[in-house]
Amino acid sequence: MRFFEFVGKIVLDIVHMAGRMSILFYETTKGIFKPPFRFRLFIKQIEFIGYKSIPIIILTGIFTGMVFSLQSYKGLNNFGSGEMTSGLIAMAMILELGPVLTGIMVAARAGSAMTAELGTMKVTEQIDALDAMAVDPVHYLAVPRMLAGMFSMPLLNAICIIFGVIGGYVVVVPMMGVSSSIYFENMVLYTNLNDIIDSIIKSFVFGIIVVIVSCYNGFNTSNGAEGVGKATNVSVVESAVLVCMFDYILTSVLIL
Amino acid sequence: MIKVVNLYKKFGNHNVHNGINLEIKKGAITYIIGPSGTGKSVLLKQLMGLIKPDKGTIYVDGADITKANKKQLLKIRYKFGMLFQNAALFDSLTVYENVAFPLREHRKLSEAETMEIVHEKLKLVGLSGVNNRFPSELSGGMRKRVGLARAIALSPDIMMYDEPTTGLDPIMTDVVDDLIYTTQKELNITSVVISHDIPSVLKNADYIGMLYNGRIIQYGTPDYFKETDNPYVRQFFSGSKDGPIKVF
Repeated sequence: MRFFEFVGKIVLDIVHMAGRMSILFYETTKGIFKPPFRFRLFIKQIEFIGYKSIPIIILTGIFTGMVFSLQSYKGLNNFGSGEMTSGLIAMAMILELGPVLTGIMVAARAGSAMTAELGTMKVTEQIDALDAMAVDPVHYLAVPRMLAGMFSMPLLNAICIIFGVIGGYVVVVPMMGVSSSIYFENMVLYTNLNDIIDSIIKSFVFGIIVVIVSCYNGFNTSNGAEGVGKATNVSVVESAVLVCMFDYILTSVLIL
Repeated sequence: MIKVVNLYKKFGNHNVHNGINLEIKKGAITYIIGPSGTGKSVLLKQLMGLIKPDKGTIYVDGADITKANKKQLLKIRYKFGMLFQNAALFDSLTVYENVAFPLREHRKLSEAETMEIVHEKLKLVGLSGVNNRFPSELSGGMRKRVGLARAIALSPDIMMYDEPTTGLDPIMTDVVDDLIYTTQKELNITSVVISHDIPSVLKNADYIGMLYNGRIIQYGTPDYFKETDNPYVRQFFSGSKDGPIKVF
């Protein structure tokens, strides 16, 4: 009996959380169209989520591209088709690695900080203070962040893809001796515009997920400093898992 | 001005409020006293609709705020100013920006007009030359005064103070008490104050309500409280651990 109680509680908790996150998403989306438009906060968040994430996204992209091409060149070369590596890298970066890695890295870098900031505001009553001054905390805090996430993520994704391809180039062309023109020719041959559109859609959605999960956990922080630490931890884990989950869901929808 | 009827609130299995009845009179300073953990802050937050009660009604100027939706609540909150226990200043903004915040949100003023009001309010609480400092660079007393300046920036009808003097030295306590008194008299606002500080209560209050076990067990003027033989009040005023209020 206790086992069923245990499973039931977990399921209920998950459904409860999903529902409340959906409500937050709905309210935030509604807030986008409600004046005032907080341009300064939006720019500040773009700087924080987008601009300041560029270095780690570049590093992640380059090394992922390098290791991926190393492994796939080794595999493909067994069949004598080593020069097709670039097509594989480009496809993998555009369709999967770019959006997913960007999502997870932004969750780890910006999402965690966002939860910690909002969580601290919550436990020090700053969010209550916003409410008390008749300022909707969702409108003031979540809306600029979500807009910034929606805007920054596709661009970060593009940066990640480009540097992934560059990383692949570094390994395949000078080290493995594939000619530079074949590298780019195969890359263009195996990718098409639809893949790039799918990639943009994915990263756009991941941007929303990371921000909503981070804000949700921030807004629901309790129990002081320990609570902030816990909320930050949970937030990163949830963002990463949800990014992977929605990656599958989106892929299955977009592939049709 | 504010009328609370039969208010119930529960957190988990813990009954915080068991039928509170209370009236806050217009233009007066009402102190809410009572031991820690009896839900005084929760009561204050319910009065301005930050927390929803489980049962009961709260009338603010005749309107029942427990039935108000989000939009109506925001409108009702224009009437309120609140000083939080730890001032709850936005720590990403400077002192000036903190006080200017409600003005920028709700009033379409030019920067010069905003600046004038901010300086006026900061002068009222006796602060100058701290405009560009961040809250983390201020002392507790200064932070409370900035919090007060921010709360009165929009000239509210009702001011709420959550333990305004807790954690302050005796002199700063007197300064803040004086501020509560003078802002009340100068701006003619209704004030609700939570406090543990008996001398402050007796000095400033027009009315006192004592909260214990989720109910208002005694209500009256300071003179009444000085003379009543209610054992709960007597124990609380004398600060003795022996009596009907059990700590352990």
